[in-house]
Amino acid sequence: MHKKMAFSFPDEVLEHVFSFIQSDKDRNAVSMVCKSWYEIERWCRRKVFVGNCYAVSPRMVIRRFPEFRSIELKGKPHFADFNLVPDGWGGYVFPWIAEMAGAYPWLEEIRLKRMVVTDESLELIAKSFKNFKVLVLSSCEGFSTDGLAAIAASCKNLKELDLRDCEVDDLSAHWLSHFPETYTSLVSLNISCLGSDEASFSALERLVRRCTNLKTLRLNRAVPLDKIANILRHAPQLVEFGTGTYTADVRPDVYSDLAGVLSSCKELKSLSGFWDVIPDYLPAIYPVCSKLTSLNLSYATIQSPDLIKLVSHCPNLQRLLVLDYIEDSGLEVLASSCKDLQELRVFPSDPFGAEPNVSLTEQGLVAVSLGCPKLQSVLYFCRRMSNEALVTIARSRPNFTRFRLCIIEPKTADYLTLEPLDVGFGAIVQYCKDLRRLSLSGLLTDRVFEYIGTYAKKLEMLSVAFAGDSDLGLHHVLSGCESLRKLEIRDCPFGDKALLANAAKLETMRSLWMSSCAVSFAACKLLGQKMPRLNVEVIDERGPPDSRPENCPVDKLYIYRSIAGPRFDMPPFVWTMDEDSGLRLS
Amino acid sequence: MCMELQLGLALPGSDTWSRPLLKLGLYEDINVNRKKRGFDHGYLEDEFSAASFKNYEKGLVGWPPVETWRRKKLRCQVHNHMTAAENGYCGGRASNSSYVKVKMEGVVIARKIDISIHQSFETLTTTIMTMFDIFDENRRSFKLTYQDKEGDWLIAEDVPWRTFVRSLKCLKLIRSRG
Repeated sequence: MHKKMAFSFPDEVLEHVFSFIQSDKDRNAVSMVCKSWYEIERWCRRKVFVGNCYAVSPRMVIRRFPEFRSIELKGKPHFADFNLVPDGWGGYVFPWIAEMAGAYPWLEEIRLKRMVVTDESLELIAKSFKNFKVLVLSSCEGFSTDGLAAIAASCKNLKELDLRDCEVDDLSAHWLSHFPETYTSLVSLNISCLGSDEASFSALERLVRRCTNLKTLRLNRAVPLDKIANILRHAPQLVEFGTGTYTADVRPDVYSDLAGVLSSCKELKSLSGFWDVIPDYLPAIYPVCSKLTSLNLSYATIQSPDLIKLVSHCPNLQRLLVLDYIEDSGLEVLASSCKDLQELRVFPSDPFGAEPNVSLTEQGLVAVSLGCPKLQSVLYFCRRMSNEALVTIARSRPNFTRFRLCIIEPKTADYLTLEPLDVGFGAIVQYCKDLRRLSLSGLLTDRVFEYIGTYAKKLEMLSVAFAGDSDLGLHHVLSGCESLRKLEIRDCPFGDKALLANAAKLETMRSLWMSSCAVSFAACKLLGQKMPRLNVEVIDERGPPDSRPENCPVDKLYIYRSIAGPRFDMPPFVWTMDEDSGLRLS
Repeated sequence: MCMELQLGLALPGSDTWSRPLLKLGLYEDINVNRKKRGFDHGYLEDEFSAASFKNYEKGLVGWPPVETWRRKKLRCQVHNHMTAAENGYCGGRASNSSYVKVKMEGVVIARKIDISIHQSFETLTTTIMTMFDIFDENRRSFKLTYQDKEGDWLIAEDVPWRTFVRSLKCLKLIRSRG
């Protein structure tokens, strides 16, 4: 009787309490307290996040969470962004849509990243979910504007359609006309990835005019500068705007139209787009700059002086994406003007040139680290670095949570001392105690991994390329980084020893990617046999791995934990190592 | 520095570093300039020169790590300040896709290749050869040809890269005669 009293909190009360718990981590923790909490939690979870679509099957998710409204799925490994994952690898969303279509007519939100989405999938979404509201496709591919037309035509309650960085077969711009004239619920539209050809401006204009709740609009390159004024005139309430092509013959009326309409957008906080920029039209955005918190100039090929002028008009900037045309001088201005800066990404304008084409060095990053007290996330491409700079950066900015440095030439040493950059990166992990994501580059020995294993206790994602001397390096990371979830490695001399010695660690991580390393086929087989809860997949376009000696290194290896078992949709160049692989492939 | 690794699982009688990595064709697709052996030498001999990597990037897939869509969008710009070598392919296709069909003489199944990630015939040819499993000495007996927009078949390297990319419709690897 006493026991019963202790647990007699009514379910509805618990459910109400749980409704305030939104994050997946917390929800997962709640579900592990006891069986009854697990049961209550699973019935009231409304948002499901699946970090690896192959870690679990759609049926398993549906069985456990009978009433979710929103799902987020991720497919291909991150290195797919850089062409390291061959075409046809997998990540198909259709099986998920098919299962959910039957089970969840009330599904409202689908968010996908790096997945293959077909027109068939989009048509099924349009047909099956009557209250569908949000579709976010991030770095997805496999569909065309026909699929988008189906969504536009059927989803009467659609609020968000975001196609960031997708690869879309642009058959016709007229898909936009498929939004019925009665449709007015659009809040966010991102079509910046669509093709550069003919666009249906009138349909776009009409859509913008009637969707008075539109807050985010990111146009594609096909929309010319002189059309932007017409579109923006009907949407002064916009908070986030992405221009199309930012070029036109320099005409005073186009300029004044643009400047006028932009200054009437009093809520504008974020700007992006800026393809084909000609500097003459940039001042048109100065009136809105003081309110801007986010600015994406990563496609704007304008030089440092124009960038400096622009940036100095934006004192409230929190997020800046820019090309290295900004140079060290521009970053120094940024450091003194934008004290609220939290995130900076500097991309290379000439990634394949052997010689630097701009004056951007480690000094720019040092300036921003010293000058911007709130800076916590950085992605920086440059051509030289020193331990001294890295130590300065680490000491002045211990609040970094994401630090991604790409020194363009592999194995570049400290340019001052010609030593490896171990000490510099070591300082980063030592001082930045909350570091969650780190990307390494430059000349690095096993020592840097020793530092990482010792200090980077909160590190969740690590990207490594052309680094290390031996298995010791990998061993330091796998045995030391307690919070590690994702590890991706390319072109490093890491082999079987560290991997096999830390096999159990792999079950605590989402995934491990290793390409052009030294892991043998034999080790892969062994791992697959001994670890049934890991999917060990060998990707090799040279042909079956058993057509070569067992001690031959595999080309690419992708290991991930899964409760769904090996997948069945693998292309001919992917082999799974499971319990039977030893028998099957010999 | 020696360290005791606690091996929960171990390969029977393995001595990892006695394997001759060089012979395994592991770095086939990235060792474009055969004269520059500095890279794979480094792993075996603990010495390497940074200079040997200078032209390396031209042959490396996915390096530097700039996303494919970003590369494409940046490439196709009107008033850009990049070098002529970078002003490669753009436009000419309705879709955003820069994938081109590649066939090989005698092979039934065609493959597809993303032309936008290449900036030279060297990397393109190397990638295609690897795709069809042609290694080392055998490469000399193949030629890369392409069909242009007018339907004519031409030898790839006979024209400048930019011309090639603009008029390219599909590729075919054929055995060189003589």
